[in-house]
Amino acid sequence: MSAVESAASGVREGRTTAAAAAKEVASRLEKTAALNASLNWSAERLEAEAARVDGATPSDRAKMPLAGVPIAVKDNIVTTEQPTTCGSRILEGYVSPFNATVINRLRAAGAMIACKANLDEFAMGSSTEHSAFGRVMHPDDPSCVPGGSSGGSAALVAAGAVPAALGSETGGSVRQPASFCGIVGIKPSYGRVSRYGLVAFGSSLDAVSSFGRTVDDAARVLAAMSGHDPLDATTIAQPPLVLDPPRRDLKGLTIGLPAEYFPRDLHKGVRAGLDRAIKAIKDLGGTIKEVSLPHTRYAVPTYYIIAPAEAAANLARYDGVRYGQRRVGPAGDLRALYQATRGQGFGAEVRRRILIGTYVLSSGYYDAYYRKAQQVRALLAEDFRRAFDAGCDMLLTPTTPTPAFKAGEKTEDPVAMYLADIFVCPVNLAGLPAVSFPVGRSEGLPLGAQLIAPNFAEARMLSAAAALEAALDAAAEVR
Amino acid sequence: MTWETVIGLEVHAQLLTKSKMFCGCANKFGAPPNTLVCPVCLGLPGALPVPNEQAIRLATQAARALGCTVHPRSIFARKNYFYPDLPKGYQISQFDQPLATGGTIWCESPERGRIGIGVTRLHLEEDAGKSLHDRLPGKTAIDLNRAGTPLVEIVSEPDLRSPAEARAYLTTLKQILVYAEVSDCNMEEGSLRVDANISIRRPGDSKLGTKAEVKNMNSFANVERALIVEHDRQVALLESGGRVEQVTMLFNAAAGTVKPMRSKEESHDYRYFPDPDLPPLVLTPKWIEEQHAALPELPEPKRERFMTRYAITAYDAGVLAAERPVADYFESVVGAGAEAKAAANWVMGEAMSGYNETGRFGVSAERLSKLIGLVKEGVVSLQAAKRVYPELVAGNEEPRAVADRLGLIQVGDANTLGAWVAEVLAANPSEVERFRGGEAKLMGFFVGLVMKKSGGKADPKALQPLLTEKLRKK
Amino acid sequence: MSIGREDVLHVAKLAELAVSDEELPKLTEQLGRIVDYVAQLNEVPAGEQAPPYLAGPDKVTLRPDVVAPVPLARPPADFAPEFSQGLFAVPRLGAMEDQ
Repeated sequence: MSAVESAASGVREGRTTAAAAAKEVASRLEKTAALNASLNWSAERLEAEAARVDGATPSDRAKMPLAGVPIAVKDNIVTTEQPTTCGSRILEGYVSPFNATVINRLRAAGAMIACKANLDEFAMGSSTEHSAFGRVMHPDDPSCVPGGSSGGSAALVAAGAVPAALGSETGGSVRQPASFCGIVGIKPSYGRVSRYGLVAFGSSLDAVSSFGRTVDDAARVLAAMSGHDPLDATTIAQPPLVLDPPRRDLKGLTIGLPAEYFPRDLHKGVRAGLDRAIKAIKDLGGTIKEVSLPHTRYAVPTYYIIAPAEAAANLARYDGVRYGQRRVGPAGDLRALYQATRGQGFGAEVRRRILIGTYVLSSGYYDAYYRKAQQVRALLAEDFRRAFDAGCDMLLTPTTPTPAFKAGEKTEDPVAMYLADIFVCPVNLAGLPAVSFPVGRSEGLPLGAQLIAPNFAEARMLSAAAALEAALDAAAEVR
Repeated sequence: MTWETVIGLEVHAQLLTKSKMFCGCANKFGAPPNTLVCPVCLGLPGALPVPNEQAIRLATQAARALGCTVHPRSIFARKNYFYPDLPKGYQISQFDQPLATGGTIWCESPERGRIGIGVTRLHLEEDAGKSLHDRLPGKTAIDLNRAGTPLVEIVSEPDLRSPAEARAYLTTLKQILVYAEVSDCNMEEGSLRVDANISIRRPGDSKLGTKAEVKNMNSFANVERALIVEHDRQVALLESGGRVEQVTMLFNAAAGTVKPMRSKEESHDYRYFPDPDLPPLVLTPKWIEEQHAALPELPEPKRERFMTRYAITAYDAGVLAAERPVADYFESVVGAGAEAKAAANWVMGEAMSGYNETGRFGVSAERLSKLIGLVKEGVVSLQAAKRVYPELVAGNEEPRAVADRLGLIQVGDANTLGAWVAEVLAANPSEVERFRGGEAKLMGFFVGLVMKKSGGKADPKALQPLLTEKLRKK
Repeated sequence: MSIGREDVLHVAKLAELAVSDEELPKLTEQLGRIVDYVAQLNEVPAGEQAPPYLAGPDKVTLRPDVVAPVPLARPPADFAPEFSQGLFAVPRLGAMEDQ
């Protein structure tokens, strides 16, 4: 039984209380403080969360799938009880006057918000080195990055501080850190989970996602918060996700291997991890099929046009007028307010992306960049459709091209950092669901692989992932 | 030198919905500042827009009322710029796939008679908040109650040829939108805003001259005034050998002048792109036609129908059809039995004065119809009826009862009249002889005496033939 | 280099972001790298088309016209940087006047 389910059933059945779980979490958050992964938590706040669960009637509590489960929340998801900073100076101290829909749903399911988790500023980054509040350490090796942008959430789960956490994906920001940290990260189909209360970065890409130590942990959290939201016009009118019962084998499933994700010069450890996963699929009775996604190499450049363009518009609201930190330049007028607030409140990566985004939308460049990127995005989505139509139930690929890299290794060249996303961002561009799960370790660091499924096929994807997880020893050093 | 004036108008009208365009805040005027706000219209981190179905409906109806084609698929787009009353740093609008295109507004030009002015497009967008420059010293104050209010933007083709035509276009447009209950088009309250583009060229030139944009007009009269001033400025400029620059001019109503905007900014680059938070707006042709069918009869067809059905003049039909409440009232009065021409006169006269003052009709259609009937039957004279009317406004009495109470009931029955006539004729034998001898104008003398004897109650219409008959007898 | 100093300053102005003289050269270089990198999309022929990708539902779901605002846990006065007489306050318009 997974950690989430055993914790929740304990509280539901009265064998333990949410208050006890809250105390335990507080102690673990203190012990893992050096990771710099948690922001804005307090024992009092935890007690209040627990009181809500313990104060419910036993019959209500018996219906809570996540009763008393502590969950870390990436700090770009708004909550009313503590600040939401998005890892940025511009929102330092900002306390939202409303809660995100996912927060409301998790609380209704009995979960406790353990803390806000550190992130790359405004979710822009692949290493959580771009937070205004310091970088997050990899739990296994503090000189390494945990991945990003949801690095804080990943580190907390990997370090055992919390059994599950929320992150968000725009270009792989949950699967990539899950892979680096040796845990599970699930990105749902676009439109499966409400974005109301997720601070927008790339609106057509953003997806609230979940972390857990196991597939089951992360899947239960995802299921509890999924479903149509009338406050988010991009959610699909479908009932909430219902998980399939666990499966012992992969008989009857065809799993595609896209050639473009297995380049000749793929990192040896990553390759070895994937080989283990492929062997496990065959051992479990699944069929392997070679496929091609020919436009894969254009995914990252496409992403780095569309995401910054949407971000440039989404971040225009941070102007010091209605909320957040205000700074006024020497001229003392309105323009001095805008330029100083934004120029000083945003970090370097955010500023770069806003400028790129503004550029690709600007007069004279829109067709060459933004419109072109939309054309290529359509081609990328079609590549996946064709692979699924050719008989694949899902695809298996590496999640990241390498294990976790060292802090500072890629911060000098923005493009080098972007290339960390080559295997994850095509999925965001196509809006598909995917799950990263650990497949072993190489030189002391975790390795991950991902399954990618057709739109709204999370249930089958996750049951397959769970079967693979059971068959693989994630702690094993691979050759 | 003669010049041809070319004018196009861009109108923004607030829609009469209960809630805002993209959130559930109330859409109303006059609330304390920043009280009709929520995460969405405040542009808070994490908020998302969801479109208001009634706004779509009203915009569709407006588009059909203007003869536009409503497109089954249209896209919301972000218009990006910075201004303190624009909370998100972009306005959700529509750009290259608007809700509707290609309509016509028929109006009366003082110079050209009936003209059809093209409507290029009608699209949906949200309003910005209000910036107040004089409330806090040295600062600008922002009220976001208005932010997110639904608007339609209606752009005309540059088909207008004079400032007077511009005014006529606006009057007609307002009439249509008010009729359709889409907007109350009140420029003073800001539910209707107008920006004008004006250029001049030599008659016969097919190329358009450089246009100037004119803003900051708060009434239709001021739109006309501002355009006259700007027209004159452009004429003077060109006739002295200068060139018209593409500028934005602000109208100053108090001074009656236009001046260029101070900031010499290059024109905005709005960087429009489809709003990723809003999937396409898809409307079925059936639904579009249902909205069109649900429109009330519009002013132009109503005018035509009044003329045909009630045999009243074009002028009268125009006055009665100008506002729906007036038109409906008129038809109720006729429907209650009154003769159309008389009803028209009463509605355009006494009833309208009351309506213009109080906004309602003080006398029910039933009662007015009865009053008109009394005049027709000769029970009261028209002048007497006009004395009855204010009593009907003041109280609930039936018209005949009022007339009775005021002693205004005319006597028209032959016996009573006959008796009075007989008395008068008997008392004035020599005048009778003279009348019979040929002095026809003595009729007035007899009429006057009978009226006096009857205390004014004799019905002149019944009296006349009776007198004639009795005087003829020998 | 496809993006130069003037482009960067122009775009910074559109985005209302102050860029200092010291930062400008490095920023121009970095942005240039990024723009050059993403320009490789030009390798994809214009004729190669697929049905446009639409994230989310095919058509937008509308909201009924009911007054039901999401309530604020705290009023604007609590989170506004400057709030006076019920109004958000900002410095005078200055260079942005008349817009």
